Amino acid sequence: MKKRKSIFGKLQRTPKWKKEEFTEIEYEPKTVKELLTEMKDISELIIDLAYSAILLDNIEIAEEVKYLEVRMDKLNYEIRMISMMAARTKDDAEKLAGILQIAEAAESISNAAGDIANLLTLKSKTGPILPKLLSKAEEKIFRIKVIDKSKACNQKIGDLKIESETGIRIIAIRRGECWIYNPQSDTTIQADDWLITRGTDDGYQEINKFLKGEVKILE
Amino acid sequence: MKEKTAEDIVLEIKDKSELMVDLAYSSVLYDNKIIAEEVYDLENAVDTLYRTLQKKSLEEVKNGKQSIENALTLLRIAHAGEQIADAAQEIADVELRDVELHPILKMSIRESDVVFTKVKVEPHSVLCGKTLGQLKLASETGMMVIAMRHINKWIYGPDKNTKITSEDILFAKGPEDGEKHLIELANGTSTEI
Repeated sequence: MKKRKSIFGKLQRTPKWKKEEFTEIEYEPKTVKELLTEMKDISELIIDLAYSAILLDNIEIAEEVKYLEVRMDKLNYEIRMISMMAARTKDDAEKLAGILQIAEAAESISNAAGDIANLLTLKSKTGPILPKLLSKAEEKIFRIKVIDKSKACNQKIGDLKIESETGIRIIAIRRGECWIYNPQSDTTIQADDWLITRGTDDGYQEINKFLKGEVKILE
Repeated sequence: MKEKTAEDIVLEIKDKSELMVDLAYSSVLYDNKIIAEEVYDLENAVDTLYRTLQKKSLEEVKNGKQSIENALTLLRIAHAGEQIADAAQEIADVELRDVELHPILKMSIRESDVVFTKVKVEPHSVLCGKTLGQLKLASETGMMVIAMRHINKWIYGPDKNTKITSEDILFAKGPEDGEKHLIELANGTSTEI
């Protein structure tokens, strides 16, 4: 099982992007690899979150997108600093330039996702054109409630093997007033959780039955 | 064929740009220039789509089929998709350059939440001769096939009618435990989908 990443899988309240924005950047000795892995993870998660925010017309998810966007800025800054210190020869510099280019691209992706989430605040007066549009995409975003008689309750996502059994990826969990973004394999599902997920119609049918307690196991 | 509406084009941009990000990261992971070049081609396709959309949405507004606000929203979301496509191209550009990739790049991509995998389909695999739609790989194993190589032909973003034959190379993405399942199916050690 993978090491849990510090910023993901936590129960939290939004907004927190403001807090992030005003904290001073302190030089923390992280490795380029850690930074780049996190940036890649964010670049993928943030697109899904941005579309979810639009589809579900949810300002809280949009706030999380904003937070991740700010976080991405910081990571990009840190990775630049570390890379510069790591370069000793021309050969080093050439290879590290590739890393910085990918980091920069990951940041551009998060900026684009931020623009998508911002559409929520500029909503058109004529009605929900975007939700209608996004519900026709190949892979869709679904929102599912966990019913207390489902076998999923109090189980870890990793043990349930939701993604490998259904192809459905859980992007976020809403628990009461709180949210868990990008839940990890050791995150537990509880009754009354709302799962924001992404996947195909087939997979959705399967997981929906499971979370509603209509079927006992996923296979 | 029915003419595409502005909405159809936006969806196409969305699907293509997401596929491009996946392809771009896997081109770096597998040090594969052919996939990286496809990202370039897709980027051109997205640019063309975006230009078509600009014209199309103006036309739709003029004909009264779409409100100005809706057209603007479509353009804005497509613009974001176009930027994502540009970013994917930047990633692919690193692969295409004549500089050896830094080993950290592969490690970082490999260690992230979503893994990319490359498998060869053996002749006795249960996958042979079936379409992706029949196999339902995505919903059964969690692994989504993003590209495949069939002899010398590449298929990017295969759909449910794409057939898998023996010797095909599949590029897929998904969770860690789905990867093992897919590998076993492809090399014939498992027949249970």
